[in-house]
Amino acid sequence: MIPSRPPQAPGEEHPEEPSRRLLWISGIGASGLVAFAWLSGEINVSGFFGADRARNLKRFLTEDAIPFPLREDGFTWSGLWTWVAGHWNAAAGEATLTTLWIAVASMALAGAGALLVAPWVARTISTREPFLQNGPTGALWIWASRLARLICILARALPEYILAFLWVAILPGSAWPAVLALAMHNGGILGRLFGETLENLERRPLQALRTLGGSRGQITALAAVPVALPRFLLYFFYRFETCVREATVLGMLGIVSLGYQIQDARSRHAYDDMLLLVGFGVLLVLLADLTSHGVRIWLRREAPR
Amino acid sequence: MDRHPPKPPPRGLILLGIGILGLLAAFLLGLRPGGLIPNAGGLQLARSFFSAALDPALTREGASLAANATPFLEDLVHAALRTLIFAAAAMSLSILAGLPLGILASDTWWRRSSFSNSRMTAAARAMQSAVRIGIALMRSVHELIWAVILLAAVGLNTFGAVLAIAVPYSGTLAKVFSEMLDEAPRHSAKALEGIGVRPLGVFLFGLVPRALPDLVAYTAYRFECAVRSAAVLGFFGYPTLGYHLTLSFGDGHFRETWTTIYLLLALILFLEWWSTAVRRRLVS
Repeated sequence: MIPSRPPQAPGEEHPEEPSRRLLWISGIGASGLVAFAWLSGEINVSGFFGADRARNLKRFLTEDAIPFPLREDGFTWSGLWTWVAGHWNAAAGEATLTTLWIAVASMALAGAGALLVAPWVARTISTREPFLQNGPTGALWIWASRLARLICILARALPEYILAFLWVAILPGSAWPAVLALAMHNGGILGRLFGETLENLERRPLQALRTLGGSRGQITALAAVPVALPRFLLYFFYRFETCVREATVLGMLGIVSLGYQIQDARSRHAYDDMLLLVGFGVLLVLLADLTSHGVRIWLRREAPR
Repeated sequence: MDRHPPKPPPRGLILLGIGILGLLAAFLLGLRPGGLIPNAGGLQLARSFFSAALDPALTREGASLAANATPFLEDLVHAALRTLIFAAAAMSLSILAGLPLGILASDTWWRRSSFSNSRMTAAARAMQSAVRIGIALMRSVHELIWAVILLAAVGLNTFGAVLAIAVPYSGTLAKVFSEMLDEAPRHSAKALEGIGVRPLGVFLFGLVPRALPDLVAYTAYRFECAVRSAAVLGFFGYPTLGYHLTLSFGDGHFRETWTTIYLLLALILFLEWWSTAVRRRLVS
């Protein structure tokens, strides 16, 4: 039941009934779903805290997770270091770097794809009289814009992991599946963000160029995109963080990167190795976070908000 | 204040750098355009997989079925419901943990006055840094890796799946919440402080309500992400949509795979429409 509200709450003189209704329904629906989730019996909380699970956890923390060379000889810094360095040199180092390169390659691809799609998404460009009209006109243009939006939505709707899973089956044996999956998902997100940025640009300078006889392509490539570039780069580096994090797990599908080594250590029940590899992943993600945070602060110095 | 505006960063150079790094990465990974053409086996698989796209299964494929097996669609809808359940449970935990952590990670909480940019004491800065490092560690480990760690540590348990999503999501919510609190408008806080309300009251009634629309809109978006994560957890044996996806694909029952994909797409597209609608009503 929707609770009744006082007849004249402050700030509600505007007719916004329908919009408020969605928020009420959402709030009630979300609370209902959460309550249902915990009461449905699908989530076995008591089992998680049961005695045998506790025993597993204790063994994991006191034995399995302790680095192998330190289990018997006791803890020494040099022993720990030899263990870490040995793993880095054996396979973990290469896997970590491969993960980074997968993220870099897929973001470059995603960025390029998004740059190509964005003008079609922007309704101020994808219209019969670009930059001059308020609403989109020309049936063909309207459909082109809708199609571009649909492509962006579909590209990013499925999780990267599922996309990569399907690509691995079709293109086994290289890093392409991971790169394609990450590029599709991020390209879809960036394509729409880039397109909306182009659409929201200050229109008058572009209109001036149009009345001076600039073509659609010229104005887009030489005026609109350069003006929007700071925003584009902000979005790009915001997605780069997430992409590196996502790249750490795609190896679980058989692409030799961090995820692959983590899965491998787990299947050997070498949980100490597994946690070390997770640690390398954490370092990689934190470094990527820091880098893109730094670049974004640097970009913001001039980027219009 | 600087009299000269700072030099704008060379954006063209950054663009060029991204391009060069991308090519370098492709070279180091051994990515060649030729690698995009599948071999004979891959091609055949692709053909039979994509030809099944227009003909999704409504009943189970394959003959060897127990007579009392649950109907395919019922099974699948149940998996979709479980996907939603895992996501909703994980989000509820994430909000419970993420909100206090986000408050403790914000600058505003630790400053003596909610609206001025007064300096933090050394102790406050140390506490805030500790919280921020904890948050960073929580979210830098991917939910699938949390799932693998929890599988190794305690074994397969549905609450473990919920925790695997909830831990990194709490970290992400906390980080974004803290940024939103720091960027929220300060007028109400200023007014409350002016009439002598205590700092805690100023924070809770002057600042948090101003940031609330942003917080709610972002949480709605994260719920959509949580559904994706819950679906993928099926690859690790949890009974969500991903479980049916990997099983049917492995068996070569591509028409079942497509039904699963369509159901997941419908779920995600609906949630995306919903979270966008909520955002549009909350954030101007």
